[in-house]
Amino acid sequence: MMTGERKPASCFLDEKTFRLCCRLFLQHSESIQDGWIWEQIKGSDEGFMKKTVLIPVKSSLLDKQHESIQAENTELPTDDFEADAEDETAGVDAVCESHAVLRYEYHVLYSCSYQIPVLYFRASALDGRSLSLEEVWSNVHPNYRQRLKQEPWDTLTQQEHPLLGQPFFMLHPCRTEEFMKPALELAHAQNRKVNYIVSWLSVVGPVVGLDVPLSFSTAVSAPD
Amino acid sequence: MAESSLKLQFAPFCSALEAGFWHQLTQKKLNEYRLDESPKNIKGYYYNGDAVGLPARLTLEFSAFDADGPTPARCCPASGTLYNTNTLEAFKSTDKKALLDKAANEIWSAIQSGAALEDSSILNKFILLTFADLKKYHFYYWFCFPALCFVEGIQLLRAPLSLEQHFSDKQISSLQSAYDNLCASSGTTAVPHFLLKYSEESVEVAPLKELNSFFPDLKRVAVGVYDPCTLPQHPGWPLRNLLVLLAKKWASQLDVVEVLCFRDRTLQGVRSVQHSIIFQLRLSDPAPSAVCPKSVGWEKNTKGAMGPRSVNLSECMDPKRLAESSVDLNLKLMRWRLVPALDLEKVVSTRCLLLGAGTLGCNVARTLMGWGVRHITFVDNAKISYSNPVRQPLYEFEDCLSGGKSKALAAVDRLKKIFPGVNAEGFNMSIPMPGHPVNFSDLTVAQAQQDVEQLKKLISEHDVVFLLMDTRESRWLPTVIAASQRKLIVNAALGFDTFVVMRHGLKKPRESEESSPMSASSSSSSSNTPAATVTAGSSLFSNIPGHRLGCYFCNDVVAPGDSTRDRTLDQQCTVSRPGLAMIAGALAVELMVSVLQHPEGGYAVASSSDDRMNEPPTSLGLVPHQIRGFLSRFDNVLPASLAFDKCTACSPIVLENYEREGFQFLAKVFNSSHSFLEDLTGLTLLHQETQAAEIWDMSDDESI
Repeated sequence: MMTGERKPASCFLDEKTFRLCCRLFLQHSESIQDGWIWEQIKGSDEGFMKKTVLIPVKSSLLDKQHESIQAENTELPTDDFEADAEDETAGVDAVCESHAVLRYEYHVLYSCSYQIPVLYFRASALDGRSLSLEEVWSNVHPNYRQRLKQEPWDTLTQQEHPLLGQPFFMLHPCRTEEFMKPALELAHAQNRKVNYIVSWLSVVGPVVGLDVPLSFSTAVSAPD
Repeated sequence: MAESSLKLQFAPFCSALEAGFWHQLTQKKLNEYRLDESPKNIKGYYYNGDAVGLPARLTLEFSAFDADGPTPARCCPASGTLYNTNTLEAFKSTDKKALLDKAANEIWSAIQSGAALEDSSILNKFILLTFADLKKYHFYYWFCFPALCFVEGIQLLRAPLSLEQHFSDKQISSLQSAYDNLCASSGTTAVPHFLLKYSEESVEVAPLKELNSFFPDLKRVAVGVYDPCTLPQHPGWPLRNLLVLLAKKWASQLDVVEVLCFRDRTLQGVRSVQHSIIFQLRLSDPAPSAVCPKSVGWEKNTKGAMGPRSVNLSECMDPKRLAESSVDLNLKLMRWRLVPALDLEKVVSTRCLLLGAGTLGCNVARTLMGWGVRHITFVDNAKISYSNPVRQPLYEFEDCLSGGKSKALAAVDRLKKIFPGVNAEGFNMSIPMPGHPVNFSDLTVAQAQQDVEQLKKLISEHDVVFLLMDTRESRWLPTVIAASQRKLIVNAALGFDTFVVMRHGLKKPRESEESSPMSASSSSSSSNTPAATVTAGSSLFSNIPGHRLGCYFCNDVVAPGDSTRDRTLDQQCTVSRPGLAMIAGALAVELMVSVLQHPEGGYAVASSSDDRMNEPPTSLGLVPHQIRGFLSRFDNVLPASLAFDKCTACSPIVLENYEREGFQFLAKVFNSSHSFLEDLTGLTLLHQETQAAEIWDMSDDESI
């Protein structure tokens, strides 16, 4: 039985149910090619759900950062290799100019200490450099900022990814109960089973720019 | 036809590296490659399902070093060779032309031998040249996607059309299922190159190697290429070497080649290949002899020039930078919602001088660090003893051995261990005190003079001075100096189960002092004067502006002297309940932060306990003058008191004497008994006047 059924007031999720919910979530993602995958940590039974989203941005944003790096690397060699410079046949110069792309990575992990799923994310440029929170913030549309300020942005922290050991932003799970409890209680009252991951992610995802297509909530079932 | 002279142009790959790749390269370099510069096999992948506007990318991630590992679903793998040099010099001087030629030759010989037909993935080889500066976490890199060239270029016979312009819906859905079947039969989810045959009714596809048998007539063939490009008029890079392969193997027979750049994207569950592009071209023999044709492929840098790229990952890889950014971020989060008006910069940039590195000093330092304060200086003359570490959280048992380390210096070391980004300094020095003579010899006088100068210098170099010593009299000199320099003082003192945390009144800047009549507050002094200026209806101690607030000594009617003389050991040692220093130390810092948040800073009107229900003056709340705590009752009160015109430390007469005579005046204070200051300020007289009254008061109390 799912925790949501027996104890509707509890917002906790055991790890087994977490895995089952993820499996169902991933099945649907696969069928609509929403891009979620299960990333297994090599040599262990641990893993997490991951999705990468690429977003073209105004190059001005990234230019600024490039300049600062370039300034530090004054000694960088750029003129000692010209033998291959005459590749006009390589064509389409136009495409090369606006390569400002941001890569958002979203990871859904299980937290044993909180017994709930936790969303980690980071944004980076195509060269792998991670964006600071200010840079991420500056890419949020101004119309959304006001709304976002009220919501879980205040629980955003920087944390080391527990499985990868790299710095990520994390939506701290301390406020999960606030929005999961009413959702689970309502579902219980209507005698409806919900997939925890779907309900949870559709609340926290949009806050950090992650869309969860509506079909997840209709097509993904809860584990039996 | 104008189009007949059109040359086909390709969109080059854009390298895309995930942070995980750099992390893994760092690990490999440190633990495995070390000084080994030999080429390593790595792998990347590319994708044909991107939304319009994204560049065609070759992506390398964490898993790039696992050359035999899985490729993400519906992505095409590309195998590459990593050349990681040990020095920047080697990176610069590497013969890029030779590397490209070597890779081009491998591709060429695979084409000639037919191996490329069996396994066409060889056509998508890439080269990555790197140098990892692991001290700075700077990475230099240059990608190369080798492409063999046709001397004359490639002539388009028919310009690119989108597939929906060329195919019917029926053909498109037939193509989709034929491609899916090909993937299934080859055991993958993406096929880089395939053959294509179509009629009005249906579309057939086949693996590249079946070219001879698939087409009845080689004069007119069609090929499909998994295309990462999203441009409507141009194919991506992977087509280039495929065309060379076709031309080399069948150029003499091929008349027209039709190319389908297969793009396959799914949005919200709806699949589309309609935006694939299809065009016709004519191929000539790329190299009549067996000599490898010219090749291109080094990636341009971000400026669009031929050159390497670089990325500075210290922010996310250097542990010290990580600690700094995490500390900053956690503080900034307070602003997101809790205290949007919080001016963190004001707090973080405050330079704090901590006089005393004992129980209070340790706790104040830790709380300052919590607030992100970076500039912390300790002054203390003591060594760490065995009893200290349990109460003084910056010290450990080891610090007590062999006589004990200097507290001021050990505290700095520990702060740096806790947070390397801190700018901490320690001074192992004494602060001369009233009633503690310095005139034993010329040497002691010179030492005292030097200590005073040093203290003056330190106070002038900081914004806030914390008085955290264990005696009353050691607070006198810094109180005088800071009052004279108009520096904010935060003072914390402990009893057994009581404490006081206070900010000293901050005297007005000198200019305005000169413009206003001096006599108003000093010469016509009587203890009643201040009350006259307080607005009617409010009590004596409400709404006192910061410049009229008292200091630690203002409430005292005896001058500081040697408080440790003639006392038993338990009286000399400051024995207090262990939690008290943490409470008082934390409150001292929080008081400083609240003062800094007030627009008037140290001149802010003192909040009192009565203000607890009113609109707070800062985003953080009240800005009291004093916090007096009583641990036995677990209670705090917020009294405010006026500067006392007979104060032995901050009264005008003391400051005037100090400013006029300097060390001479101070030496007199150090060397004399407390009567010197009491006589100077008029306290002696006050004592005589009030003695009788006091006696009566006290006896009244006792009788109750």
